Amino acid sequence: MGALAIKNVTKSFGDTHILKGINIDIEAGEFLILVGPSGCGKSTLMNIIAGLEQATSGEVHIADRVVNNVAPKDRDIAMVFQSYALYPTMNVRQNIAFGMETRGVPKAEQNEIINRVAKMLQMDHLLDRKPSALSGGQRQRVAMGRALARDPKLFLFDEPLSNLDAKLRVEMRVEIKQLHQRLKTTIVYVTHDQIEAMTLGDKIAVMKDGVIQQFGSPQDIYERPANLFVASFIGSPSMNFIPCHLVQQGEQIGVTLQGNGVPQFIALSDRAELKDRVGQKVILGVRPEQWDVEQSEHALQCAVKITEPTGPDTMVYSEVNGVEMIARVHPRAATAAGTSLSLILDVKKAVVFDPETELRIA
Amino acid sequence: MANSEKFWRFALYGALLFAAAYYLLPLYVMLTTSVKSVEEIRVGNLLSLPMAVTFDAWSKAWSTACTGVSCNGLSGYFWNSVQMVIPAVAISTMLGAINGYVLSKWRFRGSEIVFAMILFGVFMPFQVLLLPMAQTLGMFGMANTTAGLVFVHVVCGTASTTLFFRNYYVGIPDELIKAARLDGAGFWRIFWRIILPMSTPIIMVTLIWQFTQIWNDFLFGVVFASGDAQPITVGLNNLANTSTSVKEYNVDMAAALIAALPTILVYVFAGKYFVRGLTAGAVKG
Repeated sequence: MGALAIKNVTKSFGDTHILKGINIDIEAGEFLILVGPSGCGKSTLMNIIAGLEQATSGEVHIADRVVNNVAPKDRDIAMVFQSYALYPTMNVRQNIAFGMETRGVPKAEQNEIINRVAKMLQMDHLLDRKPSALSGGQRQRVAMGRALARDPKLFLFDEPLSNLDAKLRVEMRVEIKQLHQRLKTTIVYVTHDQIEAMTLGDKIAVMKDGVIQQFGSPQDIYERPANLFVASFIGSPSMNFIPCHLVQQGEQIGVTLQGNGVPQFIALSDRAELKDRVGQKVILGVRPEQWDVEQSEHALQCAVKITEPTGPDTMVYSEVNGVEMIARVHPRAATAAGTSLSLILDVKKAVVFDPETELRIA
Repeated sequence: MANSEKFWRFALYGALLFAAAYYLLPLYVMLTTSVKSVEEIRVGNLLSLPMAVTFDAWSKAWSTACTGVSCNGLSGYFWNSVQMVIPAVAISTMLGAINGYVLSKWRFRGSEIVFAMILFGVFMPFQVLLLPMAQTLGMFGMANTTAGLVFVHVVCGTASTTLFFRNYYVGIPDELIKAARLDGAGFWRIFWRIILPMSTPIIMVTLIWQFTQIWNDFLFGVVFASGDAQPITVGLNNLANTSTSVKEYNVDMAAALIAALPTILVYVFAGKYFVRGLTAGAVKG
């Protein structure tokens, strides 16, 4: 059963096109992430799903029902906002009860629900406090509690962790994931943070300029990005983009990489898509962790410019084919700036882009 | 270093004290004069303390002083003003709150233009209103009545109250409205349950502002009210201009203090909200 389906949704203000034909379909219980840089239209899309804004064209289905002309309150959804949007003059209990009161839920049932939600989020002791007497994390929790009290078909989270400090953000991220696993409700989650997107989502829609660039599972998007934008947006540090020429050496098709030593030929022959592109320019996409330090005659010699130890790994900055390249290596394998490092590429995981269309070709 | 700091501190407090004394001096003169007898005023010094305190001037100003031909004091005018100021302040504040709520949280096509036009009302000199308003009041049959004065003050006050509330509500995050809409609340429910309870500081500012404006108004009072409906500002003017054989400064001063007392009391009791409301920034929730 489809929990949420968005069909050809567009949104324009005069000549400004915010959304240009969005199509998304997710199953009940899935965790959908809308991710993209600011201004990509993800929040607008969220507001259209919530019914706070009207789509210019297209349809929104929630639980197999077209909701284009259904008021927000009748869509059976609940939303958690970036600013939490707690009613400042009401205490936590009243904040949670407000929606139920409006819907005419009997008082006894209200109390039951409030107590259940408070227990679930471990905030029993906060029920009589005003939002101003709560910390950022507690406010976030109350906002989630308010949404949970609704027991909706669909949860909407609009950048809910952006206002928290780094440590709390990680904690709340885990908590949201646990909550989702426990409740098995469908969630749509807007964020600009690619780590949140990767860690939380069952499905990710990467957006830019009102267009979905790629829609798929986190691993799929990470390993097989549809284009240069997705490849650079997802993953930190970003994927390395190395400009190359596709050449033929004997039976083999491949690219040549050069650091500060002998040029090395990297065979890409198992990729049928590249056969008729020999001689053309391509961009080789390599994630930092796809390099390994190894002494071998096939290793690429690179001059180390900077090293950034992060603890578990060390980022090594060097130059390949005239562009900056980052390799994530074991701290013991990293050598100091000014020295040379032998790197081996895990070629099976590397991807190839067309420099003109910016699309992945292999 | 420490010495020069001390010097400037003294200089600062000295300047502040001087300014305070400068502005309080008229009030002091009014108060002392109002409790002196006419004889004492004639022989004494303007700044000297009264030798014998008497409230005769106060009771005369309240109930027997002559304002033109009638000699019933200011009490009638005072109650006229009360009857005018309470509904006028309440209605204009309420309208301002609703207007501000619509213009900040329920924007519609052209709402900015509507706001700009309302803003125009804040800067318009009220003298230009006199003739058209007189005609309007005549048409409605409200000329020379307290209801007519209330109407005029509501019309003229709503521009400023709308400005106050609109600017305050712009600072309230829109997400609050969105959350309430998802909770199923409509226009009025959001207003009564979410917005109005957050508005205490700006309501206080508006109440003080409107009360002072309307209570102290002389122009509309003298033009649009006559006889039984005249407000206290007109009564005070009549009292001070009614010539008697001896100029009774003590009665004039007592009358002026009676006329000023309500606004002074409002400032004393709600003044802290005034400053707080004017400086209140965005509401953090």
